[in-house]
Amino acid sequence: MRWRVSAGGLAQPALLAAGLALTVLPGFSSAFGGELPCDVPDELMQVDDKLPHLAERLRAEQPVRIVAIGGASTTGLAAGSSDLSYPHRLQEILTRWYPSSSITVVNRGVPRQTARQMLERFPTDVIPEDPVLVIWETGTTDAVRGVGVDEFAATLQTGIDELKAHGIDIMLVDLQFSHSTTTVIDFEQYLNALHRVGDVNDVTVFPRFEMMRYWSEQNVFNFDGVAKDERASLAAKVYECIAGKLAEVIRVALR
Amino acid sequence: MPAPSRDLRLDFFRGLALIFIFVDHIPENILSYFTIQAVEFFDAAEVFIFISGYTAALVYGQTLVSQGTLYATARILGRAWQLYVAHIFLFVMFIAEVSYTVTTFNNPMYNDEMRVGDFLYEPHVAIVKALLLEFQPTFLDILPLYILLLVAFPAVLLGLRSRPLIVLVPSFMLYLIVQATNLSVPAYPEGHVWYFNPLAWQFVFIAGAALGFPWRHERRWSRWVRPVLPLAVSVVAAGFIIKLSWTIHGIWDSFPGLLLKELWPVNKNNLSPIRVIPFFAAVAVVAIAVPANSSILRSRAARPLVLCGQQSLEIFCLGILLSALGHFVLSEYDSPISTQLLVNLAGILVMCLTAGMLDWYKTMGRAQPPRFAAAQSGRGNRLGK
Repeated sequence: MRWRVSAGGLAQPALLAAGLALTVLPGFSSAFGGELPCDVPDELMQVDDKLPHLAERLRAEQPVRIVAIGGASTTGLAAGSSDLSYPHRLQEILTRWYPSSSITVVNRGVPRQTARQMLERFPTDVIPEDPVLVIWETGTTDAVRGVGVDEFAATLQTGIDELKAHGIDIMLVDLQFSHSTTTVIDFEQYLNALHRVGDVNDVTVFPRFEMMRYWSEQNVFNFDGVAKDERASLAAKVYECIAGKLAEVIRVALR
Repeated sequence: MPAPSRDLRLDFFRGLALIFIFVDHIPENILSYFTIQAVEFFDAAEVFIFISGYTAALVYGQTLVSQGTLYATARILGRAWQLYVAHIFLFVMFIAEVSYTVTTFNNPMYNDEMRVGDFLYEPHVAIVKALLLEFQPTFLDILPLYILLLVAFPAVLLGLRSRPLIVLVPSFMLYLIVQATNLSVPAYPEGHVWYFNPLAWQFVFIAGAALGFPWRHERRWSRWVRPVLPLAVSVVAAGFIIKLSWTIHGIWDSFPGLLLKELWPVNKNNLSPIRVIPFFAAVAVVAIAVPANSSILRSRAARPLVLCGQQSLEIFCLGILLSALGHFVLSEYDSPISTQLLVNLAGILVMCLTAGMLDWYKTMGRAQPPRFAAAQSGRGNRLGK
């Protein structure tokens, strides 16, 4: 498990180099025609942990249920419809890749919830679905609300223990990035806590924050100066990229 | 309030703690790998609270002995009021910054989550909660602790004067109760607690106060410390090795984080024993290793830190504002290592220069009154005639 490099300065030379390489590629910045420009540097796609239960199900070609629990960005409301959310997109991609298993991704996103509030929903929203994998997207609300970071880490630990006790595979999805909020909110300590929880529990953490930051720095997705009616379709594209990267990470973790 | 024979270690290490607090409050800051929290389980907060307790007992203890309980109480509460006003000032600055960012924000993917900036939706409640010290946004959590500790301090001083154990035993018991029961103090918004749990952190402040109180018969603490010194050194060294391994592991994954699974997370809110034991061990080691009359403390190089420590309230508040500004600059623009270092350097320079200026201003202020008084009495005489 790779822990997030917390000083931006240490991670950035590599990111910048990768960014420069990408921007000089012709057609890359002509954005949305055809392929989505979802590329991220390789460091962000490292996966060291496995998803044994999911792998077993797929190998046996049995039906697979995945629960995506999280906040507003899991619901997909910003894109206008839950069909455009990342869990739904993920289901489409995985179904394409693993056609012999019937794959369902259940969306259990509720806006504005802290990790603690999500944990309280486990007995009603997660466990009864009998999932083989739970994707837990969390931390943004905790950071915005300023929940104590130790408490945040302890909540994640309780949640992971509970899921492991049920023999469920786990993936964590870290915080959303947005340029202007990073200027007033200290996300770093929450990111570090989340990645360290993943580290000590051998659970993969999907580095959404760094990916979204990368896309923002590359001007792939930039919400500044975008007309109001175009913002939803831009959000849908971000969710699609997230789902694509998440699917790739899952595929690597299954190997 | 520098006393004549002031122990410069207090000023030096408090100044250092203030610089560390500034550095650590800037997220994604390379220099934070070189502050105490990168190599020990405790951080600048313990140092700041401990030395604040020590100096408070030293200064107000003298007042108590020479000018009586009532005046000492008045001075302590006056200081608490000063801190309170400073806290409210910082709060207003913070709210201005956040409200501006949040209300001019237009990213639909984030709007929902940013809406939890509750205070914008019920400012009438939030302001009252801030005045009651129940609303403590990030950065604004240590002053409320300090204020509360000072408000309770007159009673602590009176207890210390009669017998240190009358204060130390209940203080330690309360600390133990917090560890056993997770007892905490509720805050706003609902479900939050005081970030620095005053029921736990009081122990560091009061321990500092017990050591700092000006006893009539000087207590030779070093006589107690010397026998346990080897133990203290090993605790500090073990903490250093373990925490450093975590820090390196955080940067470089293949380096093992020693005992990471067993010990992490170390609770800061309730001041976990894993923090407080190495801290007191470090206090013992530093007290022996750095004598009060050490020439290093009087050197020109140490002077800026000593000055920062002497003007601690102003420099603390300034440091918090500068952290927010540094955070803003680093996230708004590119933040390569060179920019990060520049932001740190600029902030530390501003803090030290301000401390120097305040020291000059206060020294001038103290030098002035006699002449002024003489001039006034002269005029008074003439008017009287």
